[in-house]
Amino acid sequence: MLRLAVLLLLAAAPASAEIVSGSSFLSPEMRRQQEDETRNPGFFWVEQGQELFSRRPEAGGEACIGCHAAPQRSLRGAAATYPKLVSERLMNLEGRIEQCRVERQKQPAFGYESPELLALTAYIASLSRGLPMDVAIDGPARPFYEAGRAFFERRQGQLNLSCRHCHDGLVGQKLRGDTISRGASTGYPAYRLEWNSVGSLHRRLRACSLGVRATQFEAGGPEYLALELYLAGRARGLPVETPAMRR
Amino acid sequence: MAIPFNARISMPAEAKAGEIIEIKVLARHPMDRGGQSDGKGGTVPRKILNRLTATYAGEEIFRFDMHTGVSANPFVSFTTKAVASGEIVFEWREDGGASFTRTARLTVT
Amino acid sequence: MSLPISLRSNAPDALRLSEKEPDSAEPRGGRTGPSRRQLVAGAAAGLALAPLPRPAAAAAPLSEHVLRLTEGVVPERARLRLEIPALVENGNSVDTRITVDSPMTAQDHVRWIHLIAEKNPFPDMARFHLSPRSGRAEVATTLRLAQSQTVTAVAALSGGGFVMAEAAIVVTLSACIDGG
Repeated sequence: MLRLAVLLLLAAAPASAEIVSGSSFLSPEMRRQQEDETRNPGFFWVEQGQELFSRRPEAGGEACIGCHAAPQRSLRGAAATYPKLVSERLMNLEGRIEQCRVERQKQPAFGYESPELLALTAYIASLSRGLPMDVAIDGPARPFYEAGRAFFERRQGQLNLSCRHCHDGLVGQKLRGDTISRGASTGYPAYRLEWNSVGSLHRRLRACSLGVRATQFEAGGPEYLALELYLAGRARGLPVETPAMRR
Repeated sequence: MAIPFNARISMPAEAKAGEIIEIKVLARHPMDRGGQSDGKGGTVPRKILNRLTATYAGEEIFRFDMHTGVSANPFVSFTTKAVASGEIVFEWREDGGASFTRTARLTVT
Repeated sequence: MSLPISLRSNAPDALRLSEKEPDSAEPRGGRTGPSRRQLVAGAAAGLALAPLPRPAAAAAPLSEHVLRLTEGVVPERARLRLEIPALVENGNSVDTRITVDSPMTAQDHVRWIHLIAEKNPFPDMARFHLSPRSGRAEVATTLRLAQSQTVTAVAALSGGGFVMAEAAIVVTLSACIDGG
């Protein structure tokens, strides 16, 4: 029954439906709260990230700002180009920050979803607020983008659903208390009410996988990285909104 | 790493004497209700901000008693009458006895 | 202290709850607070009714929590405005604003405003202490609501009286929760 409804809706959905931000599915009150720095708790993570960016590691060495001077200018727009290929490896912003930390600062990695990595990622992404998402999906990135698309379109889990069934076919409809979005990744790391905290896109994707009773992949692993590239490719042109607020 | 306390206080920098101003305060705190398993047979103790006081021109002008029904990263707004130029002192008290202080300056014209 | 008894009936707890009679209205059997069965039934009723608007709570009898705060004085249902969404998509952070119509003078002001969520594990949510220096009796905060329920705001006036307002809130559940 559910599957029939899904199929009918898929048939009815226009093939090239416009991708819109997750903010379009928030209540007007929550959208106002998201835009208001006095109300959006995500800005605490941005502020913490800004502070960490300028702080020298305790064990000595250079602070991020030692190389990336004037980040408001020098890193403006950088986050909008991730995930991207860095020496043939697909990396998202979190991965790139960790790479810098380990290889250049010679410090132990923060770890995915650690408060420090979330704060730095939120800060650097916030420097691209308002700029259009601008990932490369052609050339060497193409196979990764196609892998992400395949992930998005493949049926998974005990519910036997693909991402596409809901996030293309049932957009705007209700799933319990939620409104189904386009799966645009423009606001992450985002402050989710569900988490009472800022969290990464991969944390959100793990919740999606759990939702359809499918395998939850490792945060930062190749499956979600490819999916992140595909989602970012779909959202190309939409403004970066980090730190967004989500339910 | 523990979540560092932080606060964002939003209010006008200047006001006319007698004018009523709105003060908005957002704090960063998990407001942990406690009671969850700690994985060692016990439970996690409650750890919330339980009180915010605002002091201005020699007097407590506002107090907010919080219990577990106040959200994580709590927001509160209240009003006060501008009486004299000076600092408004905000003090949070956390379960376990820690406290955090922030100040904001109001110039009264 | 007078407790309203007009809504007492002999119907089973679960049925009476499904009629949305607050379980706090019954001073019977020396038992205080709802039983486990009532709570379970209440939760089930809340789920079943989630998409429907709830009737106004204005006619509901006074909760024991209110009478505890006022030491038995019956507050007037007037002069206090409680602004809170009727339906919230996540109970973790619910925008709430309370305004009391008061001159806020030394002679006539609001001393405090107290918020109650009768079905939260800990019903007392918060208390705002005000004074004539507040200028206005207007406060706002973000609340945490465990489930669909009635939220009550009670304000203590300098003259010794109390005013209150109630609001019925439906809390829906998020679909894709982390599950720990």
